[in-house]
Amino acid sequence: MNFKKQLREGLLTQNPVLVQLLGMCSTLAITTSLFNGLGMGISVLVILTCSNVVISLLRKVIPSKIRIAAYIVIIAGFVTMVDLLMQAFLPDLSNSLGVFIPLIVVNCIILGRAEAFASKNTVAASAVDGVTQGLGYLAALVVMCIVRELLGNGTFGSGVLSADGARIIAEPYPALMMILPVGGFLTLGCLIAFAQWLVKKLNDKEAAAK
Amino acid sequence: MNVTKLISIALGAILVNNFILVQFLGICPFMGVSKKMDTALGMGFAVTFVMGIASAATWLINEYLLLPLGLAYMQTVAFILVIAALVQLVEMFLQKMVPALYQALGIYLPLITTNCAVLGVALLNVQNHYNFIESVVYGVTGGLGFLVAICLFASIRERVEDCDCPKSFEGFPIALISAGLLALAFMGFSGLRIF
Amino acid sequence: MKTYVLKLTGVLFLITAVVAVLLGGVNAITEGRIADINAEKTAAAIRTVLPSEAEPEPVQDYADDTGLVTAVYRMGEDGYAVQLVVAGSQGEITMMVGVDAEGAVSGVSFIQMSETAGLGAVAAQDNAKGRAFRDQFVGKSGSVAVTKDGGDIDALTSATITSRAVATGVNAALSCVANFG
Repeated sequence: MNFKKQLREGLLTQNPVLVQLLGMCSTLAITTSLFNGLGMGISVLVILTCSNVVISLLRKVIPSKIRIAAYIVIIAGFVTMVDLLMQAFLPDLSNSLGVFIPLIVVNCIILGRAEAFASKNTVAASAVDGVTQGLGYLAALVVMCIVRELLGNGTFGSGVLSADGARIIAEPYPALMMILPVGGFLTLGCLIAFAQWLVKKLNDKEAAAK
Repeated sequence: MNVTKLISIALGAILVNNFILVQFLGICPFMGVSKKMDTALGMGFAVTFVMGIASAATWLINEYLLLPLGLAYMQTVAFILVIAALVQLVEMFLQKMVPALYQALGIYLPLITTNCAVLGVALLNVQNHYNFIESVVYGVTGGLGFLVAICLFASIRERVEDCDCPKSFEGFPIALISAGLLALAFMGFSGLRIF
Repeated sequence: MKTYVLKLTGVLFLITAVVAVLLGGVNAITEGRIADINAEKTAAAIRTVLPSEAEPEPVQDYADDTGLVTAVYRMGEDGYAVQLVVAGSQGEITMMVGVDAEGAVSGVSFIQMSETAGLGAVAAQDNAKGRAFRDQFVGKSGSVAVTKDGGDIDALTSATITSRAVATGVNAALSCVANFG
């Protein structure tokens, strides 16, 4: 279990959003402010790590035929826990993310990692996998948020640095459509293109070095 | 029975607040199954069917089981279990009755369980306090909105496949940009109302 | 075969039961706090729309033809705070409208809304744009409407539906209080 290698994979070469193309619904929907992005990213990281650990603990006990249903129940349990705790202690974030918190249950990343990794590896490795993949998701969300907020609202760090964020682009100039669905699709498309280009370059470099 | 409200819900679900292009629910299969028109159609109908029945089943369970027992916090767990069971049934049904479609949809059929749109519509029904009829209408028309979007998108993608494209943008990125333009077009429906 | 199916269902049921018990525990811990947060939101909204020394007194029978009013609070002699639920563009908007003793709007505040960020959501935000939008309603009586519908309320940029919904809510509150005579 090489932490550095798994971290590199989680953040870049096997980034859940930009390379594996999972979990796009939430990436497109909530990345309109840094507050949302950080909140969602950290929630998914926590849920992913916890469910990875539990599923890895139970991997020898769960019969194969019902494993998907069992994973879903375990993941739904953690999601509801995070949902309730957020409503009680972070009500503004809960309001902002809305229906996308319970929808973390069907975030393909979590079920995907449970099936592909946690069900076949040790608890320690699964925990590390949860953290690294979660960080990859968080990184993708943060980049999306910064780009969309800057171009669409002209601010940076709305909800995090201050209620409105630091204004970088003056009032009438930001392109409002970046905060709307159009902007989400366009930004993610360009980001994935960039990631694909970067990964290919890294692979070519490695192949040339061999 | 308020027919005008039902028509507003339907219009909203299909055009104004389209599940994929405005609410961002159901993106994974939207991207995955839209390469060819016939798989897109098949998936669209399967999702519409599941969304309709899921809306009905989850509403009944919420109204007569979870709420009376004060178990509102179990909504997510209960709903997703119902949906998983439902998809399993649809799978078995298609395998027996329409094997060609079953083969064509392949891995994407069990993936309807993790389709944000299905769980999403169940949760939105609760959030909007819809009654039984309104929930089912929202479920079915939400699915129809999904169908409209995925078929429009499939027809675009079939064309884009034949075009030249910068290397890094091939595949998903150019598909997302096309979806973005489609979403831009759907913005034109904003504010549409008949009543 | 039968025992195999029973075993499968048994394991799944067991996992679900454990999850349900754990969730029940978390719910018990958070329930009280969530209820408090909601109550505080309502109280804060009342204080914002109608600053008054009096204690809010829930009014049981109020005449409401619109079906939008969910609660009315009498603030001594200073007026009423009306809580309503209107349909916005992305779901329901729960708002509080203060009506003073002269029958004019004293303030508008939002308890719960999930309108589009940057567009309709600005109505509830505590920034210059949001405050400017909400302040437009203060002092109005009779009925209000956005400029598109012939009134003098400037709607929020690209958020006509949200702006119209707020106007509808304010009108419902004004007519409800007018019924008290």
